[in-house]
Amino acid sequence: MKRIISLIITIVILLSFTACDGSFAQVDLKEPIAIPENGIIEKSILDKMKDNNAIAILTGESNGIKYEWTVFGSDLEKTRDVNLSLDLNKTETGLKITFAETEDFGFPALLSIHLNEKWTADSAIAYAGDNHVYSVSITGSKTSILNISVHKIVAVCEILPDDTKFSESASSTETNSSENTEQNAGGTNKTDDYLTDVKDSDNRVYSDGNATDQDKYKTDPVPEGKPLPVEPENQEINNKKSYTCTFSIECSTILNNLKDLDSDKRELIPSNGVILAPTTVTFYEGESVFDVLQRVCKEKGIHLESSWTPIYNSAYIEGIHNLYEFDCGELSGWMYRVNGWYPNYGCSRYQLADGEKVEWRYTCNLGKDIGCDWMK
Amino acid sequence: MRDSFAAYHPLINFLYFALVIGFSLVLTHPLAQGIALVCAITYSVSTTGKKSVLFLLKYCLPMVLLTAFINPAFNHEGTTTLLYFSNGNPLTLESILYGFSAGTMLVTLLLWFTSFNRVMTSDKFIYLFGKVIPALSLVLSMSLRFVPKFKTQMATVAEAQRSIGRDIYSGSLWSRTKTAIAIFSIMITWALENAIETADSMKSRGYGLKGRSAFSIYRFDERDKYSLIWFSFCGLFLLAGTMQMAFGFRYFPNIRYALLNMTTIPFYFVYFVLCITPVIMNWKEERKWKTLISEM
Repeated sequence: MKRIISLIITIVILLSFTACDGSFAQVDLKEPIAIPENGIIEKSILDKMKDNNAIAILTGESNGIKYEWTVFGSDLEKTRDVNLSLDLNKTETGLKITFAETEDFGFPALLSIHLNEKWTADSAIAYAGDNHVYSVSITGSKTSILNISVHKIVAVCEILPDDTKFSESASSTETNSSENTEQNAGGTNKTDDYLTDVKDSDNRVYSDGNATDQDKYKTDPVPEGKPLPVEPENQEINNKKSYTCTFSIECSTILNNLKDLDSDKRELIPSNGVILAPTTVTFYEGESVFDVLQRVCKEKGIHLESSWTPIYNSAYIEGIHNLYEFDCGELSGWMYRVNGWYPNYGCSRYQLADGEKVEWRYTCNLGKDIGCDWMK
Repeated sequence: MRDSFAAYHPLINFLYFALVIGFSLVLTHPLAQGIALVCAITYSVSTTGKKSVLFLLKYCLPMVLLTAFINPAFNHEGTTTLLYFSNGNPLTLESILYGFSAGTMLVTLLLWFTSFNRVMTSDKFIYLFGKVIPALSLVLSMSLRFVPKFKTQMATVAEAQRSIGRDIYSGSLWSRTKTAIAIFSIMITWALENAIETADSMKSRGYGLKGRSAFSIYRFDERDKYSLIWFSFCGLFLLAGTMQMAFGFRYFPNIRYALLNMTTIPFYFVYFVLCITPVIMNWKEERKWKTLISEM
């Protein structure tokens, strides 16, 4: 009897120790690897990542500024010893990067630079001389994180905050259009903002900043100069008048918070964080951000789930590209930004105007990490 | 077929059901679910016959189809979009398959629990847990017993009321409703009183007191010993397999599963043998019985 029992126990223990290859095709997330003094990451480490289809974070520091590389095993084709160390220097206008590596890596890698200060710009551009080499997205709550997808190596480049900010260039058009609005909408604009019938795409009603109370859909006062929400049920879509706007969808904040991400979703994350690169899309007069998002996603075959929320009279975007709210920590979800401003109302209530730039961004911290300041 | 597995020691019966119900709940791999479903059907059909076949066709099949149908209406996750609903949300292959899986799990559990209820009678339950958790096991067995007892008592009361002219089958709608309400009120009073009486009676017999023993006709035989070893081996083996993701399967956001190979197949095999054990036991007993008869 005792023999049988001990035999069984031995078998079970042996079995549980033998690495059972129940290959589940899970993407591994490796513990952060510190970049060594000389900066060389050996080929063997990369080969291992490639074979295991793993994601690795490699961290380093230069002049008190921390940086990390996020490398996806699935992106690696040819591997070799690479030098990942950087020399980071703050300049008066921005940040100078000197790469230790001289040749291209042969794979895309995401570089995240954790600054010790806050940049107010929406985005930044890296220049080598006068050439625009990388587009930089800015995330981070209290201090900024610069995210750069590096394909090609340039010896030295300088990151400058994007000064052609939309809020400035757009404000000139905004003043123009608000003048139009006053001419066309006249007195109604002042008596009842919310019930004003908006007929023309260029004829939106803009907030004068005087409102103090929430509207009936729990929207806080809209800042001055920003378009007031419209109600989707009152909108008439005019298929004859078409305009264009720019749409983009990105989730680079997830790359800075990979450890919080639901492990099943790891393989969905694009290695540069971009789900839809800025694309010019056509829309019709009277359409909202939601209408266009739905159409764009359908056309591009991007997964999108939304639910109608009567209390806010708008659709709520639950998930794009199978990345859902709460997938990367309990403060995560999708937000949208139009011309550098995060509207404080739902996307079905934002009527698009010609030439606007709409960005859908994933936040891991209620918007604070992607430059949205009104969320408490 | 007679259910000779039910004649095993209550501990064996309980262990078996705890294992199969537990693993049916945890394992989402379609092959493991298929194994559990087939075994649950075989066991309940071989012991209860026609009745359970009818139950399967009438309730279980529609239930699987219904969950497979309903799930995609609320769940739009998944990378394989088949088509779009009118509100713009996608219908995904993954959500349909997940619906099937959930339906299968529901039916399997339902079948396991009907078998559990039939095999684990309340005296077995009290025998097992009376010492460890006296109050809870009494409450459990009383509430399990309550529904059939309530039904028979209701029939008796309705009959008695009918004989004094309060018929729930004839008369105007108003008078029938009134009678039904009266019967229901009688039943509530009876149920409350009955519960108190049972509790008092159990207390007066010293139920749950220290040092008191209870009569039981169960004996832990040699065959129970071997079954115990077999079931605990299966439990540990399958637990190890589950922890090593041998049964790994995920539906969202895309379908990924553990491949069948020489290291994972033994787990499925053991799972199948575990689930089918009572049927094998019954079949062996039946054969023995028949040979005994023919030898006489």
